[in-house]
Amino acid sequence: MASRRTQTIDDDSPQTAMTKLPANFKPRPRRAHVLDQTAGPGSPKRHELSDDTLVIGRGSAADLRLDSDDVSRTHAQLLRVDDEYSIEDLDSRNGIFLNGLQVHAAVLRDGDQVQLGDVVFIYSEGS
Amino acid sequence: MGFFVRFWGVRGSIPTPGPRTRRYGGNTSCIELRSDSTVLIFDAGTGLRELGVSLLRNPPREGLDLHLFLSHPHWDHIQGFPFFGPAYLPTTTLTVYGSEKNENYQLLSGQMSNAYFPVAFKDLSARIVPKAFKKDVVEAGDFVVRRFEQKHPGGSSGFRVEHGGRACVYATDSELDQLLADQQQPVKSPRMLRRLPAPLVNAVKDADLLIADAQYTDEEYPTKVGWGHARANTVVDLAIQAGVRQLALTHHDPMHSDRDVDAKVLTAADRARTVGAELEIFGAREGVTLRLDRD
Repeated sequence: MASRRTQTIDDDSPQTAMTKLPANFKPRPRRAHVLDQTAGPGSPKRHELSDDTLVIGRGSAADLRLDSDDVSRTHAQLLRVDDEYSIEDLDSRNGIFLNGLQVHAAVLRDGDQVQLGDVVFIYSEGS
Repeated sequence: MGFFVRFWGVRGSIPTPGPRTRRYGGNTSCIELRSDSTVLIFDAGTGLRELGVSLLRNPPREGLDLHLFLSHPHWDHIQGFPFFGPAYLPTTTLTVYGSEKNENYQLLSGQMSNAYFPVAFKDLSARIVPKAFKKDVVEAGDFVVRRFEQKHPGGSSGFRVEHGGRACVYATDSELDQLLADQQQPVKSPRMLRRLPAPLVNAVKDADLLIADAQYTDEEYPTKVGWGHARANTVVDLAIQAGVRQLALTHHDPMHSDRDVDAKVLTAADRARTVGAELEIFGAREGVTLRLDRD
């Protein structure tokens, strides 16, 4: 149970109210969002996500490069907004499949399967 | 030429946040349909708040020009409106569609009376304009929207939205079973296709995407008769009769967890397979965008 004590402010007391935090309270450490590549060339491989934007593709301009002919040069973009990652199709040839459904874009959730051509990722939400 | 559909709220009846609904989402009804130049909004449930946040991240210099359609004014379809950020900007134009009586416009303003909300409708800075359907058809930007009646306590509207030769139908809060010629048929012959009235089938005909109220399972429905919502298997039968390509089950029951929605989708897919229909079925999920102008 949290305990909190507030001083009465009057002419004789300092103009600061004292607040006591619950014992052992501390902000939780951040844990990275992760894409685990489970199928396709180069798998298995784990990608910890830290950038606000990340292009996935076969081309040299991609941040996360996939050596697969089924993947377009710039296939998809990961975008972090309010600490949630979304994936968006960049007019790729083979599209993005989220848990088997072709989507143009999606906010990712823990356990989602994301497929780009023959490459399959499992997304794990961090915090 | 793009035709995009984004789900901002897919929950029925009441917002249901929490870990049980994290994947599909807990916000009430709100769907965005967008072309390269026009933004349509269907229903103003709590998902509308997040749509507003998104629209304000990169607003066009000339201001937002938005078109709002309401299926009906029950709470879970209007509750997000007072929290819709663009409505507070003088650069926004928001056209609210309804009948010539402007009842939707009046109901939106009514929920912002001082007893319910601290900001009055008249104090919203946006230019909010009522516009009436003419013979159930209206042009909104580069979309054509057709309205049709649905079976729901107090009435509700479904919408067929066309753009660039593609069609999306938004049909929530519709108790399809009450439209069946033989309402006992699902009990007597559960595997037989449930025949729906021709005008409804025609309204949905050949849609690339049908977004439909599928709140209940067959097992749940008998205790919910008259509540105004569909069971998933009857929605599947409507989609099959209308030759729909993709079916998004929405208006998820507030008691349904993500796993329950998964199970409802699997059952619906089984039903489509039983009658040999080629129909892709999925559960509408917050944050997902589909593109309809591509095969």
